[in-house]
Amino acid sequence: MNIILALTGIACALGILIFIASKVLPEESDDVKKTEDVSAALPGMNCGACGYPGCFAYAQALTADPSIISSNPCPVAIQNPDRIKAIEAALNITIDSAAMAQKAVVHCSGNSQTIFTNSGTSSCKAAALRLSGYRTCPFACLGFGDCVEVCPQNAISINPDKNVAFIDWDGCVGCGLCISECPQNIIELIPANTKIAHLCSYTPLKNIPGRIRCDSGCTHCKKCFRACEYNAIIWNTEKLIPEFNPDKCTLCLKCIEACPTNCLALTVQKEDAGVS
Amino acid sequence: MASLFSIFIGMALINNFILSRFLGLCPFFGVSKKLGNAVSMGVAVTLVMFLASVVTWVIHDYILVPFEAEYMQIVIYILVIASLVQIVEMTIKRTNLSLYNSLGIYLPLITTNCAVLGVTLINTQETYSLVESMVSSIGGGVGFIIVLSIMSGIRERLDLADAPEAMKGLPIAFITAMLLSITFFGFGGIV
Repeated sequence: MNIILALTGIACALGILIFIASKVLPEESDDVKKTEDVSAALPGMNCGACGYPGCFAYAQALTADPSIISSNPCPVAIQNPDRIKAIEAALNITIDSAAMAQKAVVHCSGNSQTIFTNSGTSSCKAAALRLSGYRTCPFACLGFGDCVEVCPQNAISINPDKNVAFIDWDGCVGCGLCISECPQNIIELIPANTKIAHLCSYTPLKNIPGRIRCDSGCTHCKKCFRACEYNAIIWNTEKLIPEFNPDKCTLCLKCIEACPTNCLALTVQKEDAGVS
Repeated sequence: MASLFSIFIGMALINNFILSRFLGLCPFFGVSKKLGNAVSMGVAVTLVMFLASVVTWVIHDYILVPFEAEYMQIVIYILVIASLVQIVEMTIKRTNLSLYNSLGIYLPLITTNCAVLGVTLINTQETYSLVESMVSSIGGGVGFIIVLSIMSGIRERLDLADAPEAMKGLPIAFITAMLLSITFFGFGGIV
């Protein structure tokens, strides 16, 4: 019995000692407190998308210069209203989050034909070294899942029927780690409120239309652009592909109906997007 | 006096914590990239070692032995070390923030640094008196600082050396540690 009391006494004495030390020592400076508040609001998954070595280093940089949040925002934190509020409160600034939130999309529908069997290492990078992959289209998703491996949110899955990567927008936080991982460069960050995605990244090579390379390749026919009654589609004259203005899009889905090769798709479930 | 000196030399050089007993290896490889940080880490560890051996000596001789509760020593020692590390961490954080940032995770990890627990358990095992415990802990800490600064001095130059591609970074550091360990065996018979 006595020993229990004695050992409890030791623990209490040590606790009191720590308490006294925290009172006697000089106070933390304001910057330290600010940094800790900011770092508590950050996701803490240390994905490195901001370029800093971990969330705490990013919090320190933000405390030193709050303007970093607009030039180099944490892609994960700006998608979460609670985190934004906490950062705003800690740094005493306002953040325009709607303009900055982004999510990743794979620009490939996986309908390109397989022309040879890839029997080597099962990684996209290795497969891409030979003739830009085993598919007719040199811009096709190879489906070995290099992006699946790096996704800190496990939001990417491979569709086994078509062998194409699919990014679940419920999970995607827009860190962009998959983009540099893809040897075909077909993953792109687009604004998080975009409702329609263009699932093809074929660029005309020697005037061979995408149609020859893939059943649902973009033929650059501009039908979607003409079908849109709300000017929500902007024709990118350089890449010859449609780009979507989420503010004007009413989800009438006329562009999807108009597309002769079915290379447009909704980025979210129809029910979630408010379409019956 | 002579026995104190031999305890000091024994802890610092002959039975050096890192190179002979292989304790406290995580800060040895983690914080040995820059000489300045390595010395600060060594000083922090030495301070914790010293305080811990004084406190644990008192607790062992006046509480654990009379109550015949020596079987609780590891638990109690860990408790003491953890609280001391908390205080040292707080002190460094509020007085020298840049040092706190450069020590990073290795500062709270002193809590689980086996060299610190090692020195207190060795003191108990060898039935050292209070003064002998203090000397042995300082000896252990000095040995820790010596090895950490030698290693960081070497690693600063190693970064510039033309090592084979597969050996760059940690592998060559492991080989360096092995060679250092062999040199420290040379202290074997000096006391």
